[in-house]
Amino acid sequence: MASRPPFPASTDSSAGVPGTPWGSAFVLGTGESVIATATFDLDAGMRFTEGFLCLTDRRIIADPPASLEPDRASPAPSSGPVWWHLDDTSSLDLRIRGGVGRIELLAAGRVVARWLFSLAQAKGMHALKDAFEQLPSRQRQRIPRPAAAHLSTGTDETDGSEPDEGGDATHPEPHAIHRRDQAGDDDADDLPTTGTPSWRMLVRLAPFARPYLGPALVGLGLSLVGTVAALVPPYLTMPLVDGVLIPRQAGEAVPFSLVWWYLGGLVIAAVVAWILSWAQLWVLAWVSERVAAELRVKTYAHMQSLSLDFFAVKRTGDLISRISNDTDQINNFLSINLIGFLSDCLLVLLTAGVLVWLNPVLALVTLVPFPLVVWLVYLVRGRLQRGFSRSNIAWAEVASVLADTIPGIRVVKAFAQERREIDRFRSANDHVLQANDRVNTVWAFFGPMVSLFSEAGLLVVWAAGAWMVFQGSVTVGGLTAFLAYIARFYSRVESMVRMVPAAQRASASAQRLFEIIDCRPTVAEDPRPVRPGRVRGRIELSGVHFRYGTREILRGIDLVIEPGEMIGLVGSSGSGKSTLANLVCRFFDPSSGTVSVDGTDLRRMAVTDYRRNLGCVLQEPLLFFGSVAENIAYGCPDAGTERVVAAARAAGAHEFILSLPNGYDSRVGERGGSLSGGERQRVSIARALLVDPAILILDEATSAVDAETEVVIQSAIDHLVKGRTTIAIAHRLSTLRRADRLVVLDAGRIVEIGTHDELLSRDGAYARLYNAQSQAAAEAAAGP
Amino acid sequence: MPHPDPQAHRPPTADSASGPLAPAPGWRLVRRPHGHVDFVDGAGRVFTDVDVLRAFPVTAPQGPVAIVSADGDELAWLDSLDNVPEALQSSLIAELATREFLPLIERIEAISDDDPQAWSVVTDRGQRRFILASIDDIDRLPDGSAFVVDATGVRYRIAAVAALDPTSLRLLEKTME
Repeated sequence: MASRPPFPASTDSSAGVPGTPWGSAFVLGTGESVIATATFDLDAGMRFTEGFLCLTDRRIIADPPASLEPDRASPAPSSGPVWWHLDDTSSLDLRIRGGVGRIELLAAGRVVARWLFSLAQAKGMHALKDAFEQLPSRQRQRIPRPAAAHLSTGTDETDGSEPDEGGDATHPEPHAIHRRDQAGDDDADDLPTTGTPSWRMLVRLAPFARPYLGPALVGLGLSLVGTVAALVPPYLTMPLVDGVLIPRQAGEAVPFSLVWWYLGGLVIAAVVAWILSWAQLWVLAWVSERVAAELRVKTYAHMQSLSLDFFAVKRTGDLISRISNDTDQINNFLSINLIGFLSDCLLVLLTAGVLVWLNPVLALVTLVPFPLVVWLVYLVRGRLQRGFSRSNIAWAEVASVLADTIPGIRVVKAFAQERREIDRFRSANDHVLQANDRVNTVWAFFGPMVSLFSEAGLLVVWAAGAWMVFQGSVTVGGLTAFLAYIARFYSRVESMVRMVPAAQRASASAQRLFEIIDCRPTVAEDPRPVRPGRVRGRIELSGVHFRYGTREILRGIDLVIEPGEMIGLVGSSGSGKSTLANLVCRFFDPSSGTVSVDGTDLRRMAVTDYRRNLGCVLQEPLLFFGSVAENIAYGCPDAGTERVVAAARAAGAHEFILSLPNGYDSRVGERGGSLSGGERQRVSIARALLVDPAILILDEATSAVDAETEVVIQSAIDHLVKGRTTIAIAHRLSTLRRADRLVVLDAGRIVEIGTHDELLSRDGAYARLYNAQSQAAAEAAAGP
Repeated sequence: MPHPDPQAHRPPTADSASGPLAPAPGWRLVRRPHGHVDFVDGAGRVFTDVDVLRAFPVTAPQGPVAIVSADGDELAWLDSLDNVPEALQSSLIAELATREFLPLIERIEAISDDDPQAWSVVTDRGQRRFILASIDDIDRLPDGSAFVVDATGVRYRIAAVAALDPTSLRLLEKTME
């Protein structure tokens, strides 16, 4: 298969390259278009392979033909692609079990081909299957025809008895199908392995500094002047030695006042250099603090815009560590290292200039060890970058353990797992230790090595300089100044080199931040969204499928909910009730099908505008740190005390709130969460009531409380649902007694719709559920 | 005599029949021996030993006041004491005063370096030592005042943080770091 051409990321047949050398089955007929492509990556023996499925509006093409069962005649890979005419096939069957997916093509009730794939391909396979089932030709019932045939030429399109439009022989306009390059798939979780992205990451920080361009330039200017001032002193030592000290030693009459002059000049230069570098450090630290602060806010704001699925897969601790620890690393780099680096660069260049100007030969000798330093830097950079990435990841792991176990401390203690959590923390901490050890090992070797080279540079200058003084080509004063410059030169080179690990550390951190910033919300805002304002609340779901990862949760839901209607969703766990509610909230978008409100597809609506119409009461009422009043007014912070009290009254929360030590000003939330489950729930109902939602979602609102509290909450809920389109989910069927209609879900499908009485008399799924519950309740009542 | 109209405070969706007990017009408070106060509603029903409470003691200390029965049921609600007849107003204020214990911290003498911190303060109600569970329990309000809640739940108020003497201020700022 080495002759297979690269596989551009396009499923658009018009982008084809005619006359491609591989299998002729890849040549599309006139008017034939590619609908979906997918990759299968396992062969019959479950070894990784590379295979490709393509669905057009006429055919299914596979290359290699299939991951066939071993007992079948497995065609050699070189036999090229195979296709099946859609009219010959009856269905595609997809199943995922234990990490292996299987998709089978059936014709006349018989499996004609089977492809195996790993979970990595599940998404594409599902999409292909969906596309297959939605083909117009699928909708019509066709007579299944016997199996597939190899295609020998690109023009042999009219294999089926039904002639294809046109016929390809007369319109030889073949298009190539292109394969998507799997190798190019980016895996966001991979460690950055080379030094190359590091600079790109740091460059991406530049836009954050733009508002502070003025101060930054001032800082740079200060550092430039300061650098020049630092170059003056050695220059003054030259005439001091040659013009004063040596003549004096030789017995000449030189007035001592000259010494004072030179010393005065040295002092002034030192003071000026000190003041300038002080001002420069202050200005640039000011700028970098602001850049880091901006970055922090930007990252957090972006995170808030991301969809729920982002938070489902990311660990809290990791995110916290990115926003706090990583921005700090960047701040340190910008304020200390970057500025130092710039002034170092300047000084190194200027010193090198002065050295050459003073004595080109000596300068050349001096700079001999310099390339070695550069080579060393190059050698170490990659190692450090990897080391710092590991270190950051290890830090995030530590934060994750904390974020897991501090809120979960009750579970930890209840199961007496303190020891184990300490061990888990220790192990995460050890990873930090190891990562840092690794970095330190490299650095400990590298730092002194650079010092050695600079020492060597000095020695070379002493040797060459002494020889040149003997030759008379250099004065003692010249050599002294030269040595002073050389010392400066190498000390600056050393500190420049120290910038390398700091830059690597900062770029590793920047990368982790940009990973968040680069995430796009999966629930994307329409570029020109409809701003719904207040909706009436007519919800329509049509053909809604939803898949989470590889699990198909909703399989074709069609449901219309009229404004003001209360719908009770009933079904066993995992039947898709909450998912359906989440789709109505637009926490996710359906995999296929549409959810529309008042006739507008939710995907076309401005997300936050729409959600303003929503009220949610969830099973676990989460209250934030703050007063009861603040929590009730969460959706509407400028609501006055009157509205807060009114909402609390309607939610049946008013009286218990009055009994709290500080009434509505009592603190609740993370700490001091002194409210019971039922009280919290009533506060959350008041919160939902205050926003006066048009659409209300009650997701197991009463299942966490006892029966007595449920009665109280239930009457609060009865206030809440009046005049609002309500979707209520409950395990306890008794809580849905007010529902206008009950919708019974099973395995992602609607199995029954009707009122309580209708469904009971139908004696179907609902009746079974209801009877099981009443029986359980009766048994519990009769029990000891 | 103006009386609270509970209907006015209900959201439009609320069902008034199942709301809190609506006081009929013309209720009054009756002071009993031992400092108890009884509430007599318009129908002449007597609720003994009722409580007068501020609903927003921190954010709106002059705001709504509720009268609550011994069982915690709401008997009356006043949006403010301003429009209440003077006699009732003064008796309500007197009742509130007996239920409001909010020592004013005048001086902070010492805050220990341990965690949790032990505070030693002088209040308008005398000297006091208490433990502060966490610095989250210091609540600084935008108006420059602050509330401090100790580990036992007792609240203290600092009328104006900036007006504290330098030693107290320094101790407080050190805590907040």
